[in-house]
This record gives sequence, structure tokens and C-alpha cells, in this order.
Amino acid sequence: MIVIHPKVSGLLERGGVPGLREALQTAVELEHAVIPPYLYALYSLVPGDNSAAAEIIRSVVNEEMLHLTLAANLLNAVGGRPVLDAPDVLPRYPGPLPGTVADGLVVGLAPFSVPLVRDTFMAIEEPEHPEDYGPEPAMPAREPLTIGQFYRQIRTTIEGLGEGVFTGKRDRQVTTGFLPGAIAVTGVASASQAIDTIIDQGEGTRTSPWDGTDVAHYYRFAEIVHGRRLIRFPPEQRWAYLGDPIIVDPAGIRDVPVNPTLAGYPAGSAAQRACRSFNYTYTTLLKALHATFNGTPGKLRSAIDIMSSLQQQALDMMAGTTTHGVPAGPSFEWQPTD
Amino acid sequence: MAAAGMGRSTRGVGEGESLVSYLNPLRLHFAGSFEAAVSTVNNDPVHFDNTRFQPSYAEPATGTALNGSFNPRGSGDWRLHDCQVTSAFLADGAPAPGTDPVLACAVADSDDRAPAKLVDLDPEQQLVSQIFAFELRIAMASGATLLRGEFAPAAFMDLWDRARAVPASGPGAGDVAAGAMYQSVLTRVRWGDVSGSPFLRALRRASGARLSVKFNVDGFGKAPGDDFLRGRVVGTIGPAAPGEPRHFVAGRQFMAAPGAGGHFFVPAGGVNFCAAAVDHAARRVYLDLGNALPTSVPGGAPADLGDLALHSAGGVAPLGVLPAARYTDPGWYPATAGVAVFPPDRPLTGAELAAVSAGPLALAAAPSDQGPVVISEPDTGLFVRADQFVYRLNPGESAEVPLFATRFGQPYAEAGVVTVPVPEQLQPNSPLAPGQAPPVAVPADALRYPARVVTDKRGKARLRLRAADPGRPRDYIDGQVYALCPVLEPVIVSPGDPYPFNQWNFVSVLVWSGFAPDEPLTWHGCIEPVLRQYGNLYPVMRDFLDLGDYEQVCAHAERLADQFSRGIDDPGSMPVTRDLSAAKREALVRWLTKPGDDGKPLLGEPRQPAAPAPPLPEPDRQVPVQGKAAAASRRPAAQRRTRLTGGTR
Repeated sequence: MIVIHPKVSGLLERGGVPGLREALQTAVELEHAVIPPYLYALYSLVPGDNSAAAEIIRSVVNEEMLHLTLAANLLNAVGGRPVLDAPDVLPRYPGPLPGTVADGLVVGLAPFSVPLVRDTFMAIEEPEHPEDYGPEPAMPAREPLTIGQFYRQIRTTIEGLGEGVFTGKRDRQVTTGFLPGAIAVTGVASASQAIDTIIDQGEGTRTSPWDGTDVAHYYRFAEIVHGRRLIRFPPEQRWAYLGDPIIVDPAGIRDVPVNPTLAGYPAGSAAQRACRSFNYTYTTLLKALHATFNGTPGKLRSAIDIMSSLQQQALDMMAGTTTHGVPAGPSFEWQPTD
Repeated sequence: MAAAGMGRSTRGVGEGESLVSYLNPLRLHFAGSFEAAVSTVNNDPVHFDNTRFQPSYAEPATGTALNGSFNPRGSGDWRLHDCQVTSAFLADGAPAPGTDPVLACAVADSDDRAPAKLVDLDPEQQLVSQIFAFELRIAMASGATLLRGEFAPAAFMDLWDRARAVPASGPGAGDVAAGAMYQSVLTRVRWGDVSGSPFLRALRRASGARLSVKFNVDGFGKAPGDDFLRGRVVGTIGPAAPGEPRHFVAGRQFMAAPGAGGHFFVPAGGVNFCAAAVDHAARRVYLDLGNALPTSVPGGAPADLGDLALHSAGGVAPLGVLPAARYTDPGWYPATAGVAVFPPDRPLTGAELAAVSAGPLALAAAPSDQGPVVISEPDTGLFVRADQFVYRLNPGESAEVPLFATRFGQPYAEAGVVTVPVPEQLQPNSPLAPGQAPPVAVPADALRYPARVVTDKRGKARLRLRAADPGRPRDYIDGQVYALCPVLEPVIVSPGDPYPFNQWNFVSVLVWSGFAPDEPLTWHGCIEPVLRQYGNLYPVMRDFLDLGDYEQVCAHAERLADQFSRGIDDPGSMPVTRDLSAAKREALVRWLTKPGDDGKPLLGEPRQPAAPAPPLPEPDRQVPVQGKAAAASRRPAAQRRTRLTGGTR
């Protein structure tokens, strides 16, 4: 599992409103930082092949976009200013995710593999007690935190601060039909609902892997590892990985590099040019999302256009179409001009 | 010269007043790369026929199969890469100080939206590719933007065979050797903190919310390699004035005579069409050779034509010389964008200026300045051009084409302009099925316009185009495409004495067919054929969904409805190809947003399927030249090697 840094936990315990805002900015960065590794693995799957695994990752990415939006809505609701348009917001791959301990889980950019899903993706989404769905244990102040516990602590902090903490302007809230579940956060109740959505979709509820519409991310990834869908099994409706098979065909995975960097590609090569171009579009996306979460919610439409462009550029790089036949991968680095 | 419709020169912009347009003392130059990820499945008209479409048309061409040409997965993206400001000049002609931060800036595309798009007008008019949704900015390396503006959509012009040392056929031929230029204005210009830049402060003072931009493109890499889909771009940005043309310089027009061979245009004298502006205040001539000097290799330095001397008609000595050693230097073209100043080292004398104003300018090339003329203005100095020259019209719509007539760069007032159809510039042919492409420019009466208009005292006229429903003259391709050429009456002369003419100087118009959708709108009714055709011609969409699959379309209904609703200037506008009529787009959006009881857009009843047409056999031959060169070669004008001689034939 990933472990949130005690410093972040401390912000929530003792930081008051500024600490809450800082912790929520960490949440924004964390939700963003998990998306590139998921996308990199997703795009390494040859379109049409390994479609079940691809669909699982794609569905998780869509919900991570929702979580990013909800984290930004939470931060805006408490009078904060989400920051996504700065180079230091970007994680380094490989490296720890934002807000997590440095000697914990290392996350990178790698082509799809079952070990990647098992050792990294499931670890990101792992609940504190994945094997049982029992009641939440009492949380010692200095114990390491999972993402889910981190969000529960945020909820506790918000509840402690009360309705008076919601000083943000309503028109900064992002709600859209493109992201079902993106609710406006205006008070303790809606904040709690937004946090529940994030936790339940990531880890499941305390009693079930089912988040209401699907199994939670952790269990969705586990389906890939087990090679079977997670289903409720009669007669006791117990959950088990006994559903339809999820077959991974290694021939349908592109042989793309692990943790590529712009500087690592040969200077002037088509791969380096394509990587740079991708990174510029990616930086453009971060600027568009920043604008979306900072008073122009209508910019989300533009951000979605940019995501489509990113997808196509990544697929073309990985297929070798734009890289002189050599499979290459994007590095997700800050590139303010191209 | 015919007497009818004789106009007169009047005083106007440029004579004793400040120069406008990028061809100006106050300007910056930039150089770098462009990317044109054009989609090529729609390069063959017969690919529009859903009944004969084959999955192989979505695959790249091979040595013997045409398939979907060289880039079937193209997104249509138009991008700039590695473009740097290379020089900047202030209004007095002096270079901007070396400390001016603009000299370290990039010229970049948008950091705010999806990439711009490069789009053909029609499969049967592929030679006016337009850039849409292009935001251009000048930015520091940190990304801080010093100015940004919207590039008004523009098509390329003055397409020619620029690189000489390339084979006439094979992978290295055709588009790779081509050059062309784009000229437009940046509108809605927004300025960042330019307090540290004397150049940008001066540009803002001179121009404010609108700028003029022109860039030359060449060396496009069409074969797989490090330069695939990329080429060289070198350009100029300067001030703009509201009344001036957006897409050409209303200055001195150098007209190239056609030479033999080539795919697009080979100028007989080696130098392509170009324009000059005379700065009466500073007593200098600014000549833009950026898309006019040939190169030896694609994207290389200008080839050696000898020293280039600018002459006025009555002058004995040249007005100045551009030495071959200078312009063949690899650093010259990126640093100047081909803009040469005459005389380079002194103002024109009063007598020289008078001679410049009174008669044609000519450029001579030779080891000595008495060498042969390589390009010149026509003797009469008369010129007319449509500013915007590409139109898309729905039935019942009209457009006013702005025409500008000049004589030696001055407004040419009270001149008759006749408009002549030039369908021979269109490309009604199919590489896959020669002879089977639908006809163009019929019915003629679906596009109406006055036979003659007269310029006003500013040399301007408006040619009103009115579109009627052309019916379905092309069956599986919507609408019809037309080409019209405005011609000044005084230059209509006998066919034996042709007036210098730029073959690309004409107006292209796509008129869409009327569309009466079935009601209620259903997938099996009128929706599926439209979406399936788009999906066929733009295969990259399959990364997202199969537009021929009802369930997948339903799953993406909200997003599709959004994108089919967008304006043509929006980077996310669908179809990317911008070739769907307003009526069809409206029907699609209405269908997508009016679900039935099951929450999905209406499916309807399947129709009796038409018997599939037999697929077209691949020709048993080597794949010929592709891309623009293939389109250009399919013009009747190219096949007949005709050219307009006054426009009355």
C-alpha cells in the first residue's frame, strides 16, 4: 500500500484551515499523479487486443479524473486555489507519489504487465485491510495512512471545522455530465459525499468491494491479476474471482520503454520529437485543467479535447507510427513551449 | 490594351503613409518546424463511397497498393515545433537591441487548447488546405506568453516546385520538394508583460489588437523517418491595419512566367511569385523572397541564382543588389525569412523613388547586374485578388468575396472586374479508379454571382456569391465544388498575348447539398450513412469509437453532440474535415440529444440493404506520387498545360 507522509497527516490535525487547504492540494496532486502510470500501461495495449484489461484500466482512469475534480472542488469549497499549472506539481517517474513517504511505494511509467498491476496499481488503491470488509479500526495518530484513510482524515477535519469553513465561491465548482458523480461541494454534507465517492471507488466500502456501480479500483485491478471477474457467488452472495476470464495476451502489449525521459531519447530523433510534442500537449492539458479548477469550469470541454489528442499521440508513439517504427512512450514532463 | 473598364490609380496606403502588413520595417522573423498530420484517406474521391469502401483504405500505402495513402491515421493536427525568433527590426529599420528578450523567444502554437487543424476544402479541391483554430503566441522559454492571437483561418498560396535536386517520381518526389506560403492576420491579440522588450512595445503601439503574419513552408517529410509529417517553416510577424487585405500584401506584385515540368508550378526564371512593399517615408523597398527563391534540396538554403539586382523601369543602375554569397548562406533565410531590403545601405533618391512609383520593378540575376530578368511586375502593374479565397456555403447562403485591385501597389479605382469559372483548377479524378471520380462545377447555376463588378475609389469591390442547392451531382460526396477567377477587364487581351497571371489566384467554393432528413431522425434512417462515411474517412476516430456502430455512438452521444455543435474555428469541431453541411450537423445533434424511451438516440427500422458494390481493384502498377502532387497532377489545367489568357476562353 502507499503510505501518506506523516507531515500531511499533521497538517490535517493541527493546521487549521491553511493546513486543510494544503492537504487538499496534496490530494489534487496525488489524484493527478496516478493517472500517467495508468495511461502509460493502457496505451501500451494494442487497440483491440486485451480489451478486458484495457477496459478495466480505462474505467479506473475515468474515475481518477472524477477524483481529481472532486479534490479540486473540495479545495475550492474551503477557499483554496488548486494548482496544476506548475512544473513542481508534476511527479518524477519513477518516484513516490505526492504526499507519500519517500521510502514507500515507487511508481513509474511502464508497459502493461500483470506484475505491474499487482505490485503497483493494486498497491496504490489498496485499502488498509483488503482481505476483510470489517469496520474501520481506530486510527492512531501516528500510524501510516492509506489514501482512503487520508481522505477519512480530511473528512474528520472538515467536520471538525464545520460549515464555516466553506468560504469558496460556488461558481468555482466543476460539475459536468462528462464526469458522472462530479458534485458541487458547498458544505459538510456534500464534502462528505464527495469523499465517500473517492474512497468507495478506490477501495470499496468497508463492507464490500462494490462501490455502487462497479467493484472498486483495487478489486478491478485484482481481477486482472486473478484472471477472472470478481462476482458474487451464490448461495451466500460471497465475493470470489470466479467470473468471466480476463486473458492477457502478451503479443498484444507494445514493447515500449520503462520510465522514458525526453533527454533519454536520441537527440533529434523522431521519438524525442514525438515525446516533446506529447509533453507540450500534456503541459497544455495541465494549464487547461488549472483554468477549469480556477474559475472557468467551461474550460473542461477544452481539456477533454486535449486528452483525446494526448491519447492519439501516445498510441502513435507506442505503435511506432510517428517514431520511425520504433515503439516509444511519452515521459509526462513539463514542456511549456515546443 | 483594351479600353473597356479602364480604371485609375489613386493615392492610398503606402504612398507617403506608414506601411502596414508584415512586410514592414517593424517586424520579426522566426524559423523552425511545422507538423502537418494530415489525414489522407479522403484524398481519393471514390473513398467517399460507403458501398465500396474497403478496410484496406484505412491502411498506409505500400509499394503496390494505394490504400489510404501515406498517413491514413492522420489527426489533421497542425503544429509548430522548435520555432524561434531569429531577428527583429524596429520601425526605423534598425535591428532590435541584442538584449531585447524577444530575440530569445519561441513562436509557439496554443498552450490553451487542442492542436490546430489543417483541412482540405474537398477531395476534388485539395490545393487550398486551410489552418483552423490556430492560436499563435510569442513566449519565453519558461512558457510565459508575451503575446498571443488567433490566426484567422487561411489557405496556402503560391504552391510551387521549390527544391530542384529531387527526382520527378518516387518517394522523394512531389510534396517533399514543394513550397507554399500562408498569410493571415492574428486577431484578438492579447499582450503579456512586454515592458522589457523595445520591439514588442513598438509593435503594440503600432498595431494593438491585430497583427499580420506570413510564413513559408517547405521540405515536408512524407516518407517514414525522423522528419515524417514535418517540414520547415520560416516566417514574419508585423503590424496590420483594419482596411488592408488579410491574406496578401497589397503592394508590388512580381509575376512568374510558367516554365516546363514540375508537379505544381515551375517558374521559368527560377523565382516564384512574390510581393514587395515600398516604404515612401524611409525610401526603401521591402521584397519578400521567402517563398520565391528555389532551394537545391528540400528545406535547404536557397540555390545560387547569381547576385540578385532590383531594377526600376527607367533606372539605369539597380536599386540594390542581394549578393548570392549572402542569400545562399545557410543562416540568411532563417534570419530574414527571405525579406530583402533595397537599397540595403542607403535610402532611395528622389529620382529613384519616382521611378519606382511610375513603372514596373524587375529582379535580375547574374554575375553582373546586367543579367537577365528572373521575375518582374507586369508592364501595366495591374493586379486583382480575392483576399479570402476559400468558401463553404450552405444552400441559400451568400458570401461577399473582398476583391482588391491595384496598379503598382496603389488602389486601382473604378475598374471592371469580371469573374470567370476555372473548373480546370479542380481535381475530379481518382487515383484508385481513374475516370470514375464525380464531376465538378456542375450544375453551374448552383453558384451565382455577378458577371462584372467595379472597384470603388479604394480599389475594392465585393463579389457576392449566392449558393443554391446543387442537388446531388456527386452522389456519395455531398455538394459541389466550384472555382472562380476574378480578372481585371483592362488585362483581357488576345490569347496570343497572355497577361502575366498566377494560376493559384482564384476562389474555391464548396456548396453543400440540400438535406431533408427523415422524421423522426433514426440511426437506420439518415444518421448511419453520414457517421459511417466520417468513420471511414477519418480512421483515427476508431481509437475512441466506431462511428459505424450504433451502440458505441450511443455510449458517446453527449460528447459527440457537443463536438458536432462546435463552430468551424474550434479545434474540437466535428467533423474534423469540416465538410459536413449545417443541415446534416444539425440533424446529428438533434438525433444525439433526443433519446427515446430506452434513453438512447432512436434506432429505427433497418432498411433493405443495398447490394454491395464490387470493390475497386487496385491498379496493377507501382503506386504513383501521392499527396498534393497527385492532386495537382489531376487538374485538367495541369494535364492540358493551359493557362488563363485574359479569362475569356
